[in-house]
Amino acid sequence: MNAVITKKDSTVTGESLRQGNTSSKILIIIPAYNEEHSISHVIRDVKTHCPSAHILVINDGSKDRTREVAEANGAAVVTLPTNLGIGGAMQTGYRYAHRYGYDVAVQVDGDGQHKAEQLYLILEPVLSGKADLAIGSRFIEQTGFLSSATRRVGIKILSTIVSAMTRKRVLDVTSGFRAANKHAISVFQSDYATDYPEVDSIVLIHRSGLRTSEVAVVMDARTGGTSSINAMRSVYYMVKVTLSLFIRSLKAAKPVEVQS
Amino acid sequence: MQALWIITSVVFLFVLIMLINRRLLREQYSMLWLLFGVVMLILSVRVQIIDALADAVGIDYAPALLFLVGILFCVMLILHLTVIVSKLSEKVIRLTQELGILHHELHERKRSES
Repeated sequence: MNAVITKKDSTVTGESLRQGNTSSKILIIIPAYNEEHSISHVIRDVKTHCPSAHILVINDGSKDRTREVAEANGAAVVTLPTNLGIGGAMQTGYRYAHRYGYDVAVQVDGDGQHKAEQLYLILEPVLSGKADLAIGSRFIEQTGFLSSATRRVGIKILSTIVSAMTRKRVLDVTSGFRAANKHAISVFQSDYATDYPEVDSIVLIHRSGLRTSEVAVVMDARTGGTSSINAMRSVYYMVKVTLSLFIRSLKAAKPVEVQS
Repeated sequence: MQALWIITSVVFLFVLIMLINRRLLREQYSMLWLLFGVVMLILSVRVQIIDALADAVGIDYAPALLFLVGILFCVMLILHLTVIVSKLSEKVIRLTQELGILHHELHERKRSES
């Protein structure tokens, strides 16, 4: 796939985004499963800090009123007939972004952990052409909600493995707060892991010949509802992710052609 | 005889890796098969393990243990696949129903427009 990266939007700040000063077509993908309590806050937060962006809520087969609440807040909603999990839901968003020609696709979780006022931090590297995937990292400056102690150990182990595989130091490998440009979107819309895709996608991006960038962000604890990952599942998660990374290393790399 | 078994195990692992490389096997299933392939390779190299295990369990004819484990593995695998097929059937039914309803809505919309 040939595309041209131009240096548009070279100065992206929180203020410039809030004023709608961006020529790029941005899609904010909000995957949500039973998030009727937090989804309106998330949508309003995004609208305040990035009013020019289009918001797409992926209603991953929610059993509650997530869809109604999201629509009431003025977001476009794709309702999946059956629950696919975060991987399938996000890939739906990337497919939408690819189909409708968005320049950037951003992931903002439906539980309120990601703060819209920091969108400019992950948009800047992508819009200025410095990276194809920008990841908002909790662990560069170690501020804000850093997750439980057990999970931090697990993340550190995964970070070591991923850094070795990509030959680049990546710290927050489980962060979903990320921005992807057209090249990354074209990769994800055809290949995105269904289980625990955050970690796998970093390796996938590097093997596609694209670049990642990590920026320091602050995240909140959940504002409502319950998480689908708890302490007991963390160990199981660790084993599964490590094995799936091994499988990823066996898969053929498909480099993306980039003209600059 | 042992050499044949080792070669078979190695070829099997190669086939698995090729299937994974070409994205013909999903992650969760490829992990199971890789485990099977590795165990097969280990047993083909160190045949004594089967003899030791057979002794410990009280089986006289060591290869019988191999058959037993092999059959049990196949049964569990088939059961697992049956569960997966059941889930997929559920999803296909739901998708078919959704599609039918969407067709209807589209048809109604086209009719009211003309």
